[in-house]
Amino acid sequence: MNLNRREFIQVSGATAAGLAVSTLGFDLKPVKSHAQMLKTKYAKETTTICCYCAVGCGAIVHTSKRGDGRVINIEGDPDHVINRGALCSKGASIKQLTENENRLTRPMYRAPYSTKWEEVSWDWALEKIAERVKKTRDDGFEKTNSKGQVVNRTTSIASVGSAAMDNEECWIYQALLRSLGLVYIEHQARI
Amino acid sequence: MAKAFFIDTTLCTACRGCQVACKQWHDLPAEITTNRGTFQNPADLTFSTYKLVRMTEEVIDKKLTWLFFPDQCRHCIEAPCLETAENSDAIYRDEDTGAILYTIKTKELDAESIISSCPYNIPRKAEDGTISKCDMCNDRVHNGLKPACVATCPTGTMNFGEREEMLALGEKRLAEVKEKFPNASLLDTDEVNVIYLVTHDSRLYHEYAMAPQSRKSGISRKVALRKMMKPFASLMRV
Repeated sequence: MNLNRREFIQVSGATAAGLAVSTLGFDLKPVKSHAQMLKTKYAKETTTICCYCAVGCGAIVHTSKRGDGRVINIEGDPDHVINRGALCSKGASIKQLTENENRLTRPMYRAPYSTKWEEVSWDWALEKIAERVKKTRDDGFEKTNSKGQVVNRTTSIASVGSAAMDNEECWIYQALLRSLGLVYIEHQARI
Repeated sequence: MAKAFFIDTTLCTACRGCQVACKQWHDLPAEITTNRGTFQNPADLTFSTYKLVRMTEEVIDKKLTWLFFPDQCRHCIEAPCLETAENSDAIYRDEDTGAILYTIKTKELDAESIISSCPYNIPRKAEDGTISKCDMCNDRVHNGLKPACVATCPTGTMNFGEREEMLALGEKRLAEVKEKFPNASLLDTDEVNVIYLVTHDSRLYHEYAMAPQSRKSGISRKVALRKMMKPFASLMRV
């Protein structure tokens, strides 16, 4: 068999049984020694932060050095001060954020009262979101409260999130929400 | 130089990081499951699930107690599956690590006899007859890494290292835990390389948490006979 690294990984790793019962031939000696070879041996290592909760665990991403550079493995970073190599079930599954056939790669839209999702372009989706945010915000905007005090707020929109944002992104996000007049701003790590 | 696990169930929070890390490292597919009224998911080990956190709810001393048991192959010191198979191309022991490993050649074995030989009810069969189970992440261990389930464990439940170290750690933890749980024990320490610390009767955790007495007293008659005949059998082959 003539395989590149990626296909080799797919053949050896993606068989339902994994390495333990996979084979590239019928002589068992190479299989036994192959079973001792690390699938990340020739991979490039990059560090990242888990995107889920606010703990911020560090992880190492192993990507293929050849060809498409797809992700081979993601596991906890033993040198990271927060988690020291550990990851919970959600963190341990983050490889599926990229390597997953069920993953959406285009924005999807379900129109009001429609029963099906349809693929739309990013431009269309962003435009639509901006349009609706503006309308909802304007419709529910209060310049003053019942006592006549200036409040300049909207209670028609609330924000929950996001644990995946870093400090600087949070600042931009907060500034955006405040400029719209939002007062219901919450972070899911607190809920 | 055998390696061993020490699984301290007193620290387990059933986050299932081990279960997912195992799937992730081995590139195993997910299971399609249904809600059965428990957080334990999937329901049982399968051909593509080598590691499973078993969860049981028990009322102990009028208090609801949630027992967690991260189940996996015990990599027995004298493995009944290996002895039943008698085919080192299908089931063999890695002498460096003590891991009991299954290959694709398990397809040629009688799956039912292998599965029923396991005192811990671990191996599982695919439709085509191939058998699989935990491989101790033998590839990782040979390259100085810990098994995926141990590396990911956030609580210190899963430990891995030289057998002597793990036994010592087990004894140390047992002594500490005994103060609060007088019935705490280490399971089958002399027979297996995956040593569990439990605080209650092992049967409350899982029917096969400990080897049943019938199996423990010795290997089955069939295997015993084969073992006796082994020297002759190898002579015959020559």
